[in-house]
Amino acid sequence: MFLKVSYLIIVLLSLLASGRSFLEHDSWITIDLHHSLSSSRPEHFSHRGNISIPSLNSGLSTVVQNPLTDSELESVKILAKQNGFYRLRATVIYPNGSSQRFLTSSKACSLLLAQFNDVLWISLDPNGYVTGITAAQDPAPQSTECSAEDLQQINEKNFSSDVIIRHAELAPVPDTGSFIQKFEREREARERGEVRDNRGFFAKYWMYIVPVVLLVFISGATNQDAAK
Amino acid sequence: MACRQSSAGTLICLSLLLLLLLSTCSGLYEDQIKKFDWRSVHLGALKQVHVDLNHFQPRVLLSTHEQVVASLCPKTGEIIWRQVLEQKPRGDIKLLQVSGFADDSSDTAAAPMGSHLGFDMLTVQGHAPALVRGWNTNIGTIEWEWSIMPLHTERAQDAVWFYSNSVLYHVVPVWRSHIEVTAYFATSGHTTGSTSKIMAAWIKPESCLLSGTFYVCLDGKQLISLDLVAKSTQVIATPLGAEPSSKIQSLPGLNGLLIVDKKLISVNKDQAVCSELTSASYLVGSFNLRKVLAYADLVDGVLKINAVYVDNCTPVPELQQSVAFAEDFGTPSLRSFDCKAKRNGDGKNCLFIFATSAESIVAVQQGRVRWAREESLANVIDTQFIDLPLADTEGTLENEMKGKAVDAHSLNSDIASAFMRRITTQALQMKSLFLHVIGLGPPPTDTQKAGLVRDSFGLHKMLVLLTRSGKIFGVDNIAGKHHWKLYLPNVAGFENAEQMRLIVQRSSKHFPLQPLCAIVAKSAVNSNGVLFRFNPITGRAAESGLLQLDYQIKQLALLPETEEDFVKGILILDGTNRVHVEPKHATPLAHGMYLYTANVKTAELEGYFVKYAGGELSCLPIWNVRLGGHNSEQQIIKVASKNPIEHVHSQGRVLGDRSVLYKYINPNLVAFVTQAPDAAHKSVLNLYLIDVVSGSVIFSMTHRKVRPPLHIVHSENWLAYSYFNDKVRRTEITTIELYEGNAQANNSVWSSLQAPSMPLVERQSYIIPTIVEAMRETITERGITNKHVLIGTASGGIVEMPWHLLDPRRPISSTTQGREEGAIPYIPELPLPTENYINYNQTVARLRNIYTAPSGLESTCLVVATGLDLFVTRVSPSKTFDLLKEDFDYILISIVLVVLTSGSLIVRHLASRKLLKQAWK
Repeated sequence: MFLKVSYLIIVLLSLLASGRSFLEHDSWITIDLHHSLSSSRPEHFSHRGNISIPSLNSGLSTVVQNPLTDSELESVKILAKQNGFYRLRATVIYPNGSSQRFLTSSKACSLLLAQFNDVLWISLDPNGYVTGITAAQDPAPQSTECSAEDLQQINEKNFSSDVIIRHAELAPVPDTGSFIQKFEREREARERGEVRDNRGFFAKYWMYIVPVVLLVFISGATNQDAAK
Repeated sequence: MACRQSSAGTLICLSLLLLLLLSTCSGLYEDQIKKFDWRSVHLGALKQVHVDLNHFQPRVLLSTHEQVVASLCPKTGEIIWRQVLEQKPRGDIKLLQVSGFADDSSDTAAAPMGSHLGFDMLTVQGHAPALVRGWNTNIGTIEWEWSIMPLHTERAQDAVWFYSNSVLYHVVPVWRSHIEVTAYFATSGHTTGSTSKIMAAWIKPESCLLSGTFYVCLDGKQLISLDLVAKSTQVIATPLGAEPSSKIQSLPGLNGLLIVDKKLISVNKDQAVCSELTSASYLVGSFNLRKVLAYADLVDGVLKINAVYVDNCTPVPELQQSVAFAEDFGTPSLRSFDCKAKRNGDGKNCLFIFATSAESIVAVQQGRVRWAREESLANVIDTQFIDLPLADTEGTLENEMKGKAVDAHSLNSDIASAFMRRITTQALQMKSLFLHVIGLGPPPTDTQKAGLVRDSFGLHKMLVLLTRSGKIFGVDNIAGKHHWKLYLPNVAGFENAEQMRLIVQRSSKHFPLQPLCAIVAKSAVNSNGVLFRFNPITGRAAESGLLQLDYQIKQLALLPETEEDFVKGILILDGTNRVHVEPKHATPLAHGMYLYTANVKTAELEGYFVKYAGGELSCLPIWNVRLGGHNSEQQIIKVASKNPIEHVHSQGRVLGDRSVLYKYINPNLVAFVTQAPDAAHKSVLNLYLIDVVSGSVIFSMTHRKVRPPLHIVHSENWLAYSYFNDKVRRTEITTIELYEGNAQANNSVWSSLQAPSMPLVERQSYIIPTIVEAMRETITERGITNKHVLIGTASGGIVEMPWHLLDPRRPISSTTQGREEGAIPYIPELPLPTENYINYNQTVARLRNIYTAPSGLESTCLVVATGLDLFVTRVSPSKTFDLLKEDFDYILISIVLVVLTSGSLIVRHLASRKLLKQAWK
């Protein structure tokens, strides 16, 4: 019974230690997305859409994004040909009205190859403030270069984004409790004299078996000599 | 079976057994002491010094800026004793007073020696509390101590002390208001009366000092002074001709004398002054029982020492001398001198002690430098191990190989010409060998004369040490000899408390091209960047030497080697976010580089992409990360990236079920640690693992109730860091390992832009029963050898900790899986066995950093530990598996070989004879 309880405690403790930490005070944020599509004017950002996350702990989000215009698609293709960066600027707005700007980039080529499907990773610090936003595409294993014919085929203009929130985790502390418990348990078991030896038969008695076998061999050999 | 009986339990026994089996580092044998290692002991930059040649035991007593009190032998400069005192601000030495050397004129000249004053030497340290200690100068022990706690601790920070007639005066200036003077009996600490407050609204920080008993402030074109021990507090104003261009200095030894723009000014009416003298440094001492004023100047590399009698300003010809002064010492300033009194007084027995701007202590006697101590080595900020050049014969061979390689490309290996070339080179080799034998060969180069030739195992290297003062040393890593020294005046570390950098631009591999190192620093004059390139083997400036850049340096990175001269260019991001490459011809290689900057105060990171198009470099900001929290309360306290020369040999880890767990080896992963006070948890420490190419936060973890000092090592797929746990008041180490999982995304080339986004993170914390001062991982040539973590402790020891013990995968319950994996069961406390201390009793005082470098042998890693002392050694984490033991019995094995071969031959012969005989039967 005691064993079971302590195991349960260990399991719970390890869950607490390794499990995801959640924010003590849940809050909501909204994110405005702007992107820069032109290689000639890297400082010009146009609106892409916005994301609202009503609860950081639940991680659910609503994403509203504008489709690209024809000219915008063309400029992304030009960027991809130059192996340039598709840069995304995200403005995070907190419930208290303050805002912070984040910048992230990915290769325009891999965005095109992924048909404008991307994943926005939002990393939070322990107090629920955003530390960084990364837009990533699923790695395209077949090619990393964009050829002209590849680009020709792409006509998708709608972004489809997944939002994943990454919380800061709680660091482990030296696990003295379970170590002492384990130690105590073994000591008690020894005192009660119930150290169950669950090793195999051979593992337990090899020191007796080996000499016997050796003796048998030796005597066999001498007998053979005698028989000759 | 002893385990069963012991009360410690089978588990402990089992783990101990496992430890015994697994711990691969064993201590040294007694006869190996100092065989692979050496230590040099230092004191730090000189603060105050007193030479005393007339004591029964001649000595040089000194205090330094590293809070060290020591006594040196005046003949050799060796340390007689040294006491390393408390760290700043508690240990800051404010005053060192040697009995019989008071600033007061009454007992300066030829004052009786001995301790009728109740002390031999006294020191005053710190401000809150101020510690006053009396020392036995013969053996360096504290004889008595008293302390005072000032009422206003923040005011006491600027306090000064002086000693006069057995009374120690504590002077606390309250800026723009008054001066508080309290007198204490030096030996007992009793006050002589109440604290006297002297109204002085004219005192301002930065412009005031104490000269003897006078408190002097510079106020525009005049000096305002006050005698603190006089009965009447009369303010004296002394006009100056013009506003001084440099800081005013006091002249110890004469009451109320000041040095203003290299001239002497007296604010004391009773003190005569030789006002016509002009010199960079002055000193008061006694010669033939008369007070003399010595002064020294450096003119064109020659140090000229002169002296005049204080009373009539007539020169003292006996003391006049000039000394050739090496450039690498920097500018000297005369600090102390003394003459042996019993001789006829010809000045030949006078010893002058100089402190220099390169933090050396130089002793001059009889027109030559008697000894010099390189105290800048107490502040080493960067080190590199450089391979030594090849010996001549090997060099030509190497050249020939290279020629062949070029041939293979261009001529498509024409057999006849290749054969001819081979014959000619071999003939040349024979010729050079012959010439060498008969002694007519080319004279050996300087480096060869000094024994600087590469050994077969690559253990002998040139250790280049960069120090905080701007002095650079080339030290033999085996013998500890200083082969060359260089001094860069007017350089300083960067903002964000970043130190100067020592960079290897070209290694020794490209014979006949010489290796090239560079120092990147900030100019102390205009805070622009400075680049100094030199040959690390000879210590001579190379490639035009010192280069003053016309921009500030914000970040720098190394580029790949160029094709033509194998130099790794330095990519520099300047203060206005433009990029530059030095040397210029390496500029095209900067295309496609990624850079990042971290602002320590606001904890903001920014990533840039460098583009080279149309002959111009540009950089585009591509990501940013804010670790500061909402109000930027978090500050970055540590940034840890991986060693760029690291090789990871094993890509994965074999689990108990024979499957492979692949390591997440991201060379662009950098760990950032931020810290901030917290309302709920006292102090919070956050760790972030960030890919600095893509800018994505790979992992973040938070510690509550934890505070610095923080030390971190980051290598392969793991991370270990130590910190102080405020809740349980102990030092702990947390370790992290990152794994990709059971499959590897891309095993040939790593790309951060197409990386697996979420590695598996294993983590564990351990208790370490010591205070950690430095941590570093061992590194070897190919990364096959196990990794150990070298942990420097506060007591000056360096512990070699196997990664097995820090492994976050140590199982808590001893499962068979863990055992099959080779993991030791989890024990919360890390063991620190004494045989794992790699520096046995050679403790490194104030250990600050440990540097490691691979040697030519895969098993061996070269280590240098820096702090106040310097300790150089080598470690072999998996034992020296590629090296025969040094006590290997060559004779025995050759005898055995010879006997066996000859035996087999004889037996063969006998056997054939026997066979023949049998056939005849």
